[in-house]
Amino acid sequence: MSSETPFQINIPDKKLSILRAKLELATFPDELQDIGWKHGVPLSDMKRLADRWRNGYDWRKYEQELNQELPMFTRDINVDGFGALNIHYVHKKSKTVDAIPLLFCHGWPGSFLEIRPVLSLLTASSPEHPSFHVVALSLPGFGFSEGAHKPGFGLDQYAEVTHKLMIALGYNEYVTQGGDWGFLITRRMAAKYGGKHCKAWHTNFPMADPPTWKSPLSFLSYLLTPFSAEEKAGLERTAWYRNKSSGYFVEQSTFPQTLAYGFTDSPVALLGWFYEKLVIWTDDYKWTDDEALTWISIYWFSRAGPGAAHRIYSEVSGDFYDLGRTSYPTIPMGASYFPQELLLLPSAWLRRLNNVVIESHHKSGGHFAAYERPKELVDDVRKMFAKGGPAFAIVPGRSGYA
Amino acid sequence: MSSETPFQINVPDEKLTALRAKLQLATFPDELENAQWKFGSPLADIKRLTERWRNGYDWRQHEKAINEELPMFTRDIDVDGFGALNIHYVHKKSETVDAIPLLFCHGWPGSFFEVIRILPLLTASTAEHPSFHVVALSLPGFGFSEAPHKQGFGINQYAKVAHKLMVALGYNEYVTQGGDWGGIITRKMASTYGGRHHKAWHTNFPIPEPPSWKSPLSFLSFLLTPWSIEEKAGIERTKWFRTKGQGYSAQQSTQPQTLGYSLADSPVGLLAWIYEKLVLWTDNYYWSDDEVLTWISLYWFSRAGPAASLRIYFELRGDCEDLGRNPTIPMGASFFPKELIVLPAAWLRKSNNVVFESHHKTGGHFAATERPEELVRDVRKMFAKGSPAFGIVPGRTGYDPHVQQ
Repeated sequence: MSSETPFQINIPDKKLSILRAKLELATFPDELQDIGWKHGVPLSDMKRLADRWRNGYDWRKYEQELNQELPMFTRDINVDGFGALNIHYVHKKSKTVDAIPLLFCHGWPGSFLEIRPVLSLLTASSPEHPSFHVVALSLPGFGFSEGAHKPGFGLDQYAEVTHKLMIALGYNEYVTQGGDWGFLITRRMAAKYGGKHCKAWHTNFPMADPPTWKSPLSFLSYLLTPFSAEEKAGLERTAWYRNKSSGYFVEQSTFPQTLAYGFTDSPVALLGWFYEKLVIWTDDYKWTDDEALTWISIYWFSRAGPGAAHRIYSEVSGDFYDLGRTSYPTIPMGASYFPQELLLLPSAWLRRLNNVVIESHHKSGGHFAAYERPKELVDDVRKMFAKGGPAFAIVPGRSGYA
Repeated sequence: MSSETPFQINVPDEKLTALRAKLQLATFPDELENAQWKFGSPLADIKRLTERWRNGYDWRQHEKAINEELPMFTRDIDVDGFGALNIHYVHKKSETVDAIPLLFCHGWPGSFFEVIRILPLLTASTAEHPSFHVVALSLPGFGFSEAPHKQGFGINQYAKVAHKLMVALGYNEYVTQGGDWGGIITRKMASTYGGRHHKAWHTNFPIPEPPSWKSPLSFLSFLLTPWSIEEKAGIERTKWFRTKGQGYSAQQSTQPQTLGYSLADSPVGLLAWIYEKLVLWTDNYYWSDDEVLTWISLYWFSRAGPAASLRIYFELRGDCEDLGRNPTIPMGASFFPKELIVLPAAWLRKSNNVVFESHHKTGGHFAATERPEELVRDVRKMFAKGSPAFGIVPGRTGYDPHVQQ
């Protein structure tokens, strides 16, 4: 059982040459006239990105940047019934000794990379705002964390890993920030470990159940309350996502192994599938080619292979619609709403079932909030835990201030 | 505008070399313990098939066999707004002069190749049963047919191509047999060209609508009639398909191009994607490795490339949600228990002119491959002397008046 070991990304040369060899042989389909983004990623984007990846994109340069910028480690975390999984994580302490321990939890197709724009903001010391000691793991099967080897690794197991990691790092009491799968996992953490260990949770992916006739007064209020313009836009975005953009979700939840073959054999396959999300899930974020390629290279070079990460969909799908319905957390919750998120439901629905102590509604930004709107996201988190804020000093002895 | 030209498949050597080069570099994911078929195509199968495809599978041998067994042609078919599309098809006449012209229409991930076992049976001349002149096209974007180059090629366009092909071949009046997209397209043909040109249609992919409260008596009957064992099993199968089996169509009907990059660049990706259907959609059919690889190769080497074949899902999505009014021409339906949607036959009879139906104890989605004899037997029965659809194509009963008993 290995304890903490410093970690540097160091992809073997052989893997780089295999990637290049495959890209040399890349073959592309044709495209319908004037199709734009209607059927998926446009051909010209794909060709340009594949060509850059093959020749021009310098993985070693970005690998070195990551190693210099992010203090990374690995350690074994034991998961009941699954044995020890070797977990990769970023861990950066604030200079403020009593900073608040915060776990940042990514989703799909995200990764630990998403911590980059917010890391120094969160750890920064100042009398003006609280500071955080930040832990950003790679979920099992993602990035440089080992993946589970047998079926049954569900929300409880993901929550067990993240919780145990915080404990192992000496953070017996902590708070969390998460989006996408990070929302679902931190919500399970809040339900299972809330109060004693997990003291508060913030999310940029607030999901709520609509009121049902089972709660007649809420339902009545729901029927009678006209939606605001923002809420209407949010519901339309949600409908678009559900009707036009959920194919990946259905396939990944039912036959992830079938998909895995294409992702593992073809960098072009992986590029297409993932790049599509980077663009349509963000609010006009200007991805540079190298930025997109680094994001996707993390999947291509991941420890468990590019076919492993999306197993989370089929493993959790049983759980997905039963999203802790039986165990809503009671600890304080913070929610940030970004208009190009995928599921945007009236905030009243969230307040009905959760202990929402702070919320913010942004005028721009999408699914990858930490990446697209780092300053806004950090401001939201700081406000939640600031002096005078609703969750100030929620972690005893770690107020986030000197 | 080209008229009929004989066609032989002749994949260029460079394509074979390029395929082999990719297969040499093939890399595989891991697999969860004991996964079997729970999460998709099993790793051992895909590795074995990839290795065979790389070294051992002889495409030229299968190409030659197809060329010898299936008389193939191409011709241009003009489609309003889309120009002329060069369509590939099999066309075999029976020795019975007055054989019934029959169009066989495939779906996805099928192809014209599905006609190969039923072709000799359908065209066979005998006094015992009707014979058919058979046309089996490659739908636009499939096999060796050209694909449309712009958006909007919907169900009307597919139906029009199929109809115009029959008319171009001199079959002004004809019948059809189809499953999967072929079932849906021939249904549209029946609605659009039914009566005047399209005289009767047979399908192994019958999709009845459930009774609704709008027809109170049917609905009451629906509520009160206990399901038979076969019907219960069919409903379970349908549930499985609807809850677990529609990932591919959810993706293909929303972002086909994104998936297309995978299928066009990775033969292993294409193999896994299609092989999964070949196994899950059939009833314990024994697929030899070479049969699988021939099916997949037809997609890999297709004229428009494998990504083009997905677009039918996107373009016909709206049509599928509202199939329009039911055809009135005589319909034949063969029910196979491992089809994907298996709903009570009473529902079908309620809103279609069903003159023939059969309920099989085995068989799945690819009926012409899995149960060729049973399927042909059904089609023959539908048009046989004494049956309701006998002689439905005037002057072409399917029997040779000069053949002695």
